[in-house]
Amino acid sequence: MKEFAYGTTVPGEVEYSVAAEVERERRLGDTASAVSPRDSVLRLAFFCALFIAAAVLMGALISTGLRSVKTSSYGAWNRVMQGRVNADIVISGSSRAAYHYDPRAIEAATGLSAYNLGRAGTQTDVELAVLRAYLEHNRKPLLVVHNLDAFTFVMSREIYDPALYIPYLHDKEIYEPLHAIDPELYRSRYVPLYGYVVEDMDLNWVTGLKALAGVNPREDFYLGFSPRHKTWTDDFEKYKESHPNGVAFAIEPAGIRALRDLILTCRDNGIPLILVYSPEYREMQQMTSNRQAIFAEFHDLAAEYQVPIWDYSNWSYDGNRALFYNSQHLNADGASLFSDDFARKLYSYVVAHRIGSQRMAADLGEPSTGSRP
Amino acid sequence: MLFNSIEFAFFFPVVTAVYFLLPQRWRTLWLLAASCVFYMAFIPAYIFILLVTILIDYAAGIYIERASEEGRKHALLLVSIISTCTVLFIFKYCAFFVDSFVGAAHLIGWNLPTPLISIILPIGLSFHTFQSLAYVVEVYRGNQKAERDFVTYATYVMFFPQLVAGPIERPQNLLHQFRERHTFDHVNVTAGLKRMAWGFFKKLVVADRLALYVNDVYGAPQNYNGLQLSVATVFFAYQIYCDFSGYSDIAIGAAQVLGFRLMENFRTPYYSLSVSEFWRRWHISLSTWFKDYVYIPLGGKRVGKARHILNLLITFTVSGLWHGANWTYVIWGALNGVYLVLGSLTKSWRDRFFAIFDLNANTVSRRTIMLLSTFVLTCAAWIVFRARNMGDVAYIAGHLGRGWNFHQLSTDHFLLRQFPVAVASLVVLEAGQLLQGGRISIPQFVGRAPMAARWAVYIGMVMTVVMFGVYRKMQFIYFQF
Repeated sequence: MKEFAYGTTVPGEVEYSVAAEVERERRLGDTASAVSPRDSVLRLAFFCALFIAAAVLMGALISTGLRSVKTSSYGAWNRVMQGRVNADIVISGSSRAAYHYDPRAIEAATGLSAYNLGRAGTQTDVELAVLRAYLEHNRKPLLVVHNLDAFTFVMSREIYDPALYIPYLHDKEIYEPLHAIDPELYRSRYVPLYGYVVEDMDLNWVTGLKALAGVNPREDFYLGFSPRHKTWTDDFEKYKESHPNGVAFAIEPAGIRALRDLILTCRDNGIPLILVYSPEYREMQQMTSNRQAIFAEFHDLAAEYQVPIWDYSNWSYDGNRALFYNSQHLNADGASLFSDDFARKLYSYVVAHRIGSQRMAADLGEPSTGSRP
Repeated sequence: MLFNSIEFAFFFPVVTAVYFLLPQRWRTLWLLAASCVFYMAFIPAYIFILLVTILIDYAAGIYIERASEEGRKHALLLVSIISTCTVLFIFKYCAFFVDSFVGAAHLIGWNLPTPLISIILPIGLSFHTFQSLAYVVEVYRGNQKAERDFVTYATYVMFFPQLVAGPIERPQNLLHQFRERHTFDHVNVTAGLKRMAWGFFKKLVVADRLALYVNDVYGAPQNYNGLQLSVATVFFAYQIYCDFSGYSDIAIGAAQVLGFRLMENFRTPYYSLSVSEFWRRWHISLSTWFKDYVYIPLGGKRVGKARHILNLLITFTVSGLWHGANWTYVIWGALNGVYLVLGSLTKSWRDRFFAIFDLNANTVSRRTIMLLSTFVLTCAAWIVFRARNMGDVAYIAGHLGRGWNFHQLSTDHFLLRQFPVAVASLVVLEAGQLLQGGRISIPQFVGRAPMAARWAVYIGMVMTVVMFGVYRKMQFIYFQF
């Protein structure tokens, strides 16, 4: 039957049609056209099997590469998961923790080793998972500092930066809480490449392959701390305009439970805990309509478990835009100033509570005499 | 069901395997069942709307063929067209026309309350409506026998590869294929799979990555500088081409695996040297539909000059409205009509202009100028098509050349590191198109290579699509039409 044709062929244009394509294939001189249906199906099945094998291999290479990264957020996370941190003081929390607390300042003031577990884009449920994974793979710290946020009681809706966690999904401390957030996470765990190409749009798998060749990303993490060399933009003004009546952060029962679990995790492991509300830009504090309710929850939990809360809501510089880059985050200068303030206070606390005195004495081979570094 | 979904990855092999295992008499019924499952994966209840359209035109076809009087035939055709179009109007255009009427009334001081009409558009309604209409008109014209077998007719309208976004088939090309016996042919199957892979490359690697940039910029154009607006506009030109032609490639390839031949829908439209040529290469199944069923019945070009211009403008404006119930689509269609009219009116001037520089039609310089100017005109029209409203169109058009800042090129969802991937994918796309059927044919070159080398290349190509694709459950743009 004559093929039905539409349109006008443009002069000089190559006619492309299904019939022409098949004809071209048949002219290739290959024996393909003589392939029986049975052999054809076998060939296709074999091709699929080869492709799956290639995908499994590629996934393994990427995971191995990402686990070997020594710098950036991957390097910081790899040290935690591979048990190479073993710090005396760990800081946990969201991006506000990661960007605000410089462990180097804490180490200098207290003489104890410190590490920042803060993770961008996380809520308390993921922060708890990160802390538990840390405890699973590292020596128990002498003190945990957990940073609080106005959104502490809001539960995670999705997994931020999934490529960070995919190489470690076999670790139940990580997999189970993340699976609770995203029930489809099993695909990333069991379907080759799924997590790297479907869940992560930022092509982070390239970082893994580069690391295999010994090429690491630029280092921007110092003992887990990531200073933000940024300046204030007009984003907050736009934000204010779009929220003329202020904002309220949900206080979800599950969020309260997550913070309670975090406190209990520390208590069960015999680790002293300090809850810290690090500086937040003053106008943002005023915009948060349910701030009192959120803090009431913080104080109730702290009182229930006798955990100290250090509130930096009235930090001397909380209205200084030169020290923030947005309403929630200090920039590198602000973080440096805050870390020094915080480290001084922490030193007094460490001394008063004789934290680390035994370990230091053991390290020095001396009897415990006090806590002065 | 989306082609770019895990569900389709299981659905298609199962449908294909069962199709070839079944005896011939059950195959069409199987395809119909599979098509129902495919369609119901979107909104199950909307299959009843499709059923209504199918029943109307199935019955109309038979009654038109039976009718002996021309008047009765004509009346039946009108009933069928009006009934089918009413369904389209209710679901697609009702809210638009009501809102437009209320807006127009407001302009003359007649304040009417705005009724809240919220109807979800059934996926691909415009496509299968047009395919259905083509059947009735062809039966009326005597070019196609009325289909007596309901299953065959329903499968013609619902054939899953082209159900939701075309190509809009004609009964002469597709209906008889359901009666043919299709054997499992290795060449056909592998050629179809390769065609699908090329379609997935266009959709997942090119279109969906560019969409990340386009969506950011066109979602809030006021936040972006002239460079970003320009890049987003060019990106959109490629996004919509790769999105839609990618869908067509997958549809044609999937049908080919099953042994069916669907019509070609695109022929490298951005290589056109005029807007009129562009429309012979872009969405061919729709443009020929409008040519056959709107433009030629209006008189085409066998009328006076003024009437010819009017015919062109009407055809393109209606084509714009077909794309969506929004004034931006209407204006986009009309603008293309204006391009064609101006192109026709200024042809002799342009020839004289080129003659001054001794550039005849075949010189590379002239062809390059024409190709680039056609691309620029097309991109200008795409701004109207993509923008949220005419306010955004004015803003974008007025700011394309302003405030270019090469340090501010990325957007929230499209970081700088994505540019090399996006640009490389466009290079691969163009290279693939240029080499397809060219003097040095890569497919033929690869096809002649030893099996191990050939397979390594194929696995590498599929792996490239998998690794560089974007998978965000993004629908194909043309689904909304």
